[in-house]
Amino acid sequence: MAAAATGSGEGGGGRGEWGTFEASSSAVIDMENMDDTSGSSFEDMGEMHQQLKEEDDVGEEPVPTEEDDGAFLGVKGLKGQLGRDVADQVWQAGKRQASKAFNLYGNIDILRPYFDVEPIQVRNRLMESLIPVQMINFPQKVAGELYGPLMLVFTLVAILLHGMKTSGTVIREGTLMGTAIGTCFGYWLGVSSFVYFLGYLCNAQITMLQMLSLLGYGLFGPCIVLLVTYNVHLHSLFYLLWFIIGGLSTLRMVAVMLSRTIGQTQRLAICGVLAALHMVFLLYLHFAYHRIVEGARVLCWDLAAQVSSIPWKDLMLGQ
Amino acid sequence: METSNFHEDMDGLVQQIGINFDHIWQKTLTVLNPMKPADGSIMNETDLTGPMVFCLAFGATLLLAGKVQFGYIYGISVLGCLAMHTLLNLMSVTGVSCGCVASVLGYCLLPMIILSGCAVLFSLQGVIGIPLALIVIGWCSLSASKMFISTLAMEGQQLLVAYPCALLYGIFALLTVF
Repeated sequence: MAAAATGSGEGGGGRGEWGTFEASSSAVIDMENMDDTSGSSFEDMGEMHQQLKEEDDVGEEPVPTEEDDGAFLGVKGLKGQLGRDVADQVWQAGKRQASKAFNLYGNIDILRPYFDVEPIQVRNRLMESLIPVQMINFPQKVAGELYGPLMLVFTLVAILLHGMKTSGTVIREGTLMGTAIGTCFGYWLGVSSFVYFLGYLCNAQITMLQMLSLLGYGLFGPCIVLLVTYNVHLHSLFYLLWFIIGGLSTLRMVAVMLSRTIGQTQRLAICGVLAALHMVFLLYLHFAYHRIVEGARVLCWDLAAQVSSIPWKDLMLGQ
Repeated sequence: METSNFHEDMDGLVQQIGINFDHIWQKTLTVLNPMKPADGSIMNETDLTGPMVFCLAFGATLLLAGKVQFGYIYGISVLGCLAMHTLLNLMSVTGVSCGCVASVLGYCLLPMIILSGCAVLFSLQGVIGIPLALIVIGWCSLSASKMFISTLAMEGQQLLVAYPCALLYGIFALLTVF
């Protein structure tokens, strides 16, 4: 016998207890397969009376039930099997919705085409990231892949870690690894998103994937500059490499954006922001971790000068 | 008679819990000799006994050098395994399990133990230490990429697999050197 799950009756608060039933499946509950604790059979009624009698003998507080007069014997069934069935159906419905959402958005296969590359392709794109294109009248092709940019970001993380270790950087709130990863991924994802947003406002013909790829490969120049200057501490060398290699990678990105944007004002806005952010980021990476090394060297020189100025001979002779 | 029965029982027990000493030895030799071809069927096994021992040995050798880095080793190992597992599943057609990735990366940590053993004897922050560290990083990444491409049939992409392995082992080298 099937009964609709109405939640009404002397069950007392059934609808409020169950809440809104939004499952797509049927709300009909099959009462034929209920367990022995449903309270709908004569044996269960006897069992209930026996339990109440035992509780009175022990002196415990009787189980609170709304049907003290025993008028409706199905209340226990509503709270027992019916409640479990409702909860189970809600759980199954929620699980199905979550699985659908995960299969749609969380499937790793969505990203699989962007990692299908050959070593020769990655090498060519790395070289091209330092060669500014000359033709800006036609939209320049941007590789829609993520392997190279991702590896370059991780390489920058490793270079930053190396720089922080050699300079003795101490991060009080956090870790070196977290700082490096946050800085590099924050720049890559944040600036890509910001420039893409600017491109959307200025009607630039570039997708988010292409922006990520373009900026990712644009980090090849900074990687080279930092790898050299973290090991050879010369300000003049850094400025020279910053201008040449950093400038080449910036020019490459700017040229691609120019070819994909129409309008002088729009081109100026996008390319100006991109160039400024890219060059300033390289400056920041250098000076944020280089100053400590510079400071330590100055300190050592001062200490050596002070030690050498002490009249050791006179002290030895007791004068 | 009782001794032979005891050894037989022990061998059976070891096999029941999935420890194959022959495969462990084969994998260790494959790591130590980067030029030796890797057997794809053996490399595809999820064996974490050797990697766990190697991680502990790495931490112990660092401890001998005065560095308590067990937490960093385990944390970087876990994150590195997850990242490599994701990357290899994106790059390969067949896919690979996380246990297999952890097993291969763990076995290829063996040369890094040699480097950390050298750190006990002399400082690696010098003319000898940096090239030695670079050689060990290349050794580890070459062995790991060789095992991965034999398991996933990714011939022609060994460099693409070796580079992220080199980045991961570079982090371990930073722990060892500094």
